[in-house]
Amino acid sequence: MNDVLPLKDKLFRLAWRITLNRAEAEDIVQDTLVRAWDQREEWSAIRDPETFCLTVCRNLALDRSKRAVHLPLPEQEQEPPDSQPAPDEALSGNERLRMARAAMDELPEVQRAIMELRDIEGMTYQEIAKTLCVTETQVKVYLHRARTKIKTRIKEMDDYGL
Amino acid sequence: MDYKYIEQLLQRYWECETSLEEEAILRTFFSQKDIPAELLPYACLFKAEEEMKEEARLGEEFDRKVLAAVGETHTTKAQRLSWSSRLRPLYKAAALVAIFLTIGLAIQHGWTRPEGEVGVAEAQPGDSTSIEKVDEATAETEAVADTMLTNADTY
Repeated sequence: MNDVLPLKDKLFRLAWRITLNRAEAEDIVQDTLVRAWDQREEWSAIRDPETFCLTVCRNLALDRSKRAVHLPLPEQEQEPPDSQPAPDEALSGNERLRMARAAMDELPEVQRAIMELRDIEGMTYQEIAKTLCVTETQVKVYLHRARTKIKTRIKEMDDYGL
Repeated sequence: MDYKYIEQLLQRYWECETSLEEEAILRTFFSQKDIPAELLPYACLFKAEEEMKEEARLGEEFDRKVLAAVGETHTTKAQRLSWSSRLRPLYKAAALVAIFLTIGLAIQHGWTRPEGEVGVAEAQPGDSTSIEKVDEATAETEAVADTMLTNADTY
């Protein structure tokens, strides 16, 4: 367990980005680590335990996301109209931050996962491709789409705030 | 200060052409307090990612839960061993030793005597029953090995 427990935060960040639910993400990480423990006798045959754990974590997160698809996500609460900045008010730093996070949360799951693995975990395209079982080309395509959307939203925020 | 380099990096970042090292440069730049106005709108992305990394941490309570979950799984799979099952490997080992001894004796004395060939035992006067004795001993060893194997399987 000492070999896999240090991965907990990395797994947690990935699970949270996919499910957008902290409690759910914590359960997923626990399940992932227990599964890794149950297969410990096969560890010598696994070339990259970290990628293995990330893949298991992602698959578990996807399963839970699919099951919860019709339930409202508790963390994506609707902003009450009164708290929206007026058109003539410049956006504050915190508001920009909140809106940037909302923009990232609105991305499709695979784009969220790729942005997380690249921008936060600092993984290479090859490592991301192995983790998500896609090609490197697909990783770049999804990442490009994600960053383009975020850039567009940032520009809209900036135009709105002026 | 010329921020041309950062602007170029940022443009390449949107096109996914930056290396990990270059993205780290962008992250470091946008983490500082004084950011020029033209680049300020983009700071929120990098700050948001930094915030997400900081808040997504699992503490010692989580470690305890996982270790407890793993411990419970391990305990339920453990079984009480009876003395007979503990000794089973010993029975099997003894049976194997007996078999190898038998084979060794057989090789030493020969399984069969071709007709006309005079065995060493027969060549020695007064000792003509030595081969029969070896045969009897071999048969007894085989019987003992068979019994031990049967006992091992039974347990």
